[in-house]
Amino acid sequence: MIPPAPSTPTSHAVFRFRAAPLRHAAILAVGFIVVRVLYRVLFHGVDGNGVVLLDLPVVRLPAPFGHVTMLGPITSGGLWTSIESALPIAAVIFAFGAINACVDLSKLFARGARGGPLRGAARTLVIAWATVPALGDAVREVALARKLRGSRGAAALLVPLLERTVERAVAIAAAMEVRGFGAQRSVDAGSATPIEFREVVLAYGACADAADAGPDAPIGGWTLAVDEFVVPAGSLVLVGGPTGSGKSTLLHALSGLHTHFDDGELHGSARLAGVDRRTVPPRETAGFVGVVLQNPRRGFASETVADEIGFAPSARGVVASIVAARVAEAAARVGVTPLLGRDIRALSAGEATLVAIAAALVERPRILLVDEPLADLDAEARLRIRALLDSLAHEHGVCVVVAEHRVGELAAVADARFDIRDGLVARIASGEALGPEDEEDASAGDRASAGARATIASTGEPRLEARGVHVVLGGRVAVDNASLDLNAGEIVALAGPNGAGKSSLLLALALPNAAGAVRVGGVDVAHLRRRTRRAAIALVPEASDDLLCATSAEDECRRADREAGAASGTTRARFLAFLGARDDAAASARLLASHPRDLSTGERRCLAIAIQLAADASVLLIDEPTRGLDARARALVAAALRASASDGRAVAIATHDHAFAAELAERTIEMRDGRLGSGAQRTAVPS
Amino acid sequence: MKWSRRVQTPLVWGGHLLAAAAFAWPLFAPALPTEAQGAVPFVALALAPLAAVALVFVLDGSVRSAKVLALLGTLTAVGAAVRIVGTGVGGIEAVFVLLILAGRAYGARFGFLLGVFVILLSSTLQGGFGPWTPFQMFACGWVGAGAGLLPRLGGRRAKLAEVAMLATYGVLASYAFGLIMNFWYWPFAVGTGAGISYEPGATLGENLGSFLLYSLVTSTASWDTLRAITTVIGLAVAGPAVLAALRRAKLPRNALR
Repeated sequence: MIPPAPSTPTSHAVFRFRAAPLRHAAILAVGFIVVRVLYRVLFHGVDGNGVVLLDLPVVRLPAPFGHVTMLGPITSGGLWTSIESALPIAAVIFAFGAINACVDLSKLFARGARGGPLRGAARTLVIAWATVPALGDAVREVALARKLRGSRGAAALLVPLLERTVERAVAIAAAMEVRGFGAQRSVDAGSATPIEFREVVLAYGACADAADAGPDAPIGGWTLAVDEFVVPAGSLVLVGGPTGSGKSTLLHALSGLHTHFDDGELHGSARLAGVDRRTVPPRETAGFVGVVLQNPRRGFASETVADEIGFAPSARGVVASIVAARVAEAAARVGVTPLLGRDIRALSAGEATLVAIAAALVERPRILLVDEPLADLDAEARLRIRALLDSLAHEHGVCVVVAEHRVGELAAVADARFDIRDGLVARIASGEALGPEDEEDASAGDRASAGARATIASTGEPRLEARGVHVVLGGRVAVDNASLDLNAGEIVALAGPNGAGKSSLLLALALPNAAGAVRVGGVDVAHLRRRTRRAAIALVPEASDDLLCATSAEDECRRADREAGAASGTTRARFLAFLGARDDAAASARLLASHPRDLSTGERRCLAIAIQLAADASVLLIDEPTRGLDARARALVAAALRASASDGRAVAIATHDHAFAAELAERTIEMRDGRLGSGAQRTAVPS
Repeated sequence: MKWSRRVQTPLVWGGHLLAAAAFAWPLFAPALPTEAQGAVPFVALALAPLAAVALVFVLDGSVRSAKVLALLGTLTAVGAAVRIVGTGVGGIEAVFVLLILAGRAYGARFGFLLGVFVILLSSTLQGGFGPWTPFQMFACGWVGAGAGLLPRLGGRRAKLAEVAMLATYGVLASYAFGLIMNFWYWPFAVGTGAGISYEPGATLGENLGSFLLYSLVTSTASWDTLRAITTVIGLAVAGPAVLAALRRAKLPRNALR
């Protein structure tokens, strides 16, 4: 539906040939002639010389249209004159088609964006141009979520799509701001200590809005106290703490985004290389502060890797040849030189992080701030980034601050560690042991409640029976002849690496249209209608936020009840029970009144689960329930899953989080290359 | 270039007036001497793109805030995609919902620029540039800008009232859009000598009568009505939630000055 983007590698030729516009113009030109003839036949305009082809009566209209006559005789000469008079304009239309076929205006966008009087408009169009292809994917994902929710109508499609759009826009804007876009002047670094924050309190004002600071931003009444955060040159400092504790807020305070972009407040003494952070916006310190934001791919604002890395000097108006030299230098330093000509959209997650680091280093900053660089990366990419940050700090003398909840991986190269607990940034003395919640895949919360598992009565009654499910995606076998049994009251984990087919299998179970049979309670799911299907089986997709489309959690619950035909209040009660807030009037009032996207990540995932359970499905499937969650949020989701199973449901989760699977699931089935490992079927389970 | 407000404001209004004159050329032509009348349509066709370029040039300085620019860019992408996907079913229909809501949430200038850029981007993607492109830009831009100029509402049922107001505006805008797009094009579409032809020598009343008939046959009864209906449905179904989503980005209403 959406036209394909120009393929990689990106060329900058303005002239090229495309047949489609020419064809389009030809149709338009012919259409123009036909329409003109029709108008003239209708309004007495083909009455001329030659043979009378059809002698229609002339109709005169009443006032105020008294001067208008309709119909009238159709003559061959009149027809010919009509066509002839239309030819010049038709030719113009066709000529424009020819120009359109040969000129690719989009190439001018990138040129205009580098400088000149129309750079604002051109940059807008570069961003738009880069966003269009991603929209196709977004629409597909949101449409799938809508189908899984069983919603109809435009709102369930439009709202998540626009939420994604706005989130992307804010990410791009922040990334441009920290790279000096729109700066009227540039502030130079003094020779003072790179980072010196003393007795600082961070807060959000009355009009604060979490959307600005990302999905995990805190709201109203929240503060973060930083007694002393001083970082000398040539050192690497690690900031740890759970999601939502304020790691990003602290980094945004350092970069200036907190006060100048997120509408946050900062009290106390906050200096970066002697510059007062409260008064100088991020764009003016871009020359000596390099920033890598969370999930950098969302914030890319250029078409090619080279343009993206060179964004900061280009925005400053540096001449092209010097920008190119700087880009080459930064790329070589990070090791991404082979990627320079690539389309920015064709990068893997690891490559994207490296490119974002190169883009932050291009101005040779004294200070580098990096937010969650290891998220979503494989082991090899994580090691590479660790080595790079180590060398930047300890060989090149950069002052590096990294926020990361996987502290364990970076602890070896860090000179100091800070931890955020209960609204306080505290220095951890060297040699102090890592808390259990700091370790990557374990979570104290889950471990503490592990005993609860024994209390779940697994009745063993079969709920779901899938036989020979076979999914082929793009010519590749995604799920290979899978058979699976799920029993009431049990939690089953599908484990395995990315691309093993876990998500495809869950989707084929929830919306069967592939080969094989899926039965829930003996009934073939493929034959169920929308509503009855939801009462049988429900799937919470990985991008669970796509399920949300109302303006408050309360509305969201009401809507879910309506769609599922459930008694009013069902979803609301389930949501509050998941969060343990049913008996707490103040907490439940806050939760229900919140905009769904202002809830914390864990709360939001629980809301998604509650929505999908509105029709009281007897089988609940969840794709990557712990994606992006820290220990506390994982405990919340784990409790919700246990509660769902203990109601007599069969629960299956697909996860690559082995610790979570081991913690929660009674059965873990390995999946590899589309094949299910042992233990998937009842007959295979020794009883 | 950042213009001072005292220079920018008259320039902006001048640009809009110039464009309005290009749309309304059939009204002005009879007032001119006969020998100049032949040139009027061509002057109008040249005037529209000039006005568009001049306005974007003058407003470009306003698009220097990273947030404005990023929101404008991503929403332009959404609008262009919606417009392209909807090509077979009347084209511009669903874009109106976006233009109206964005104009309402972020103000008249944002709405105007969004309309201009949506047309620019979708024409680039489809290779659909033509003499009509600048006219589409202004017409769409004005739809967005108009939504930004609507009054603020208070009171107990403010949310409902807002959607009702936007829907009413959507209906008016749908018909107005069809009328102005037909107006500049009507003489080209019909040619001379037919019952509803544009006659430079005829009275204003006669020409307007001819035009109204042309417009009724062309789009008022069909596309414009369809557009009005889809806009109202779109605003009713998605309006409040989309407005909330847009407002959560906290773009100050005066960010585009």
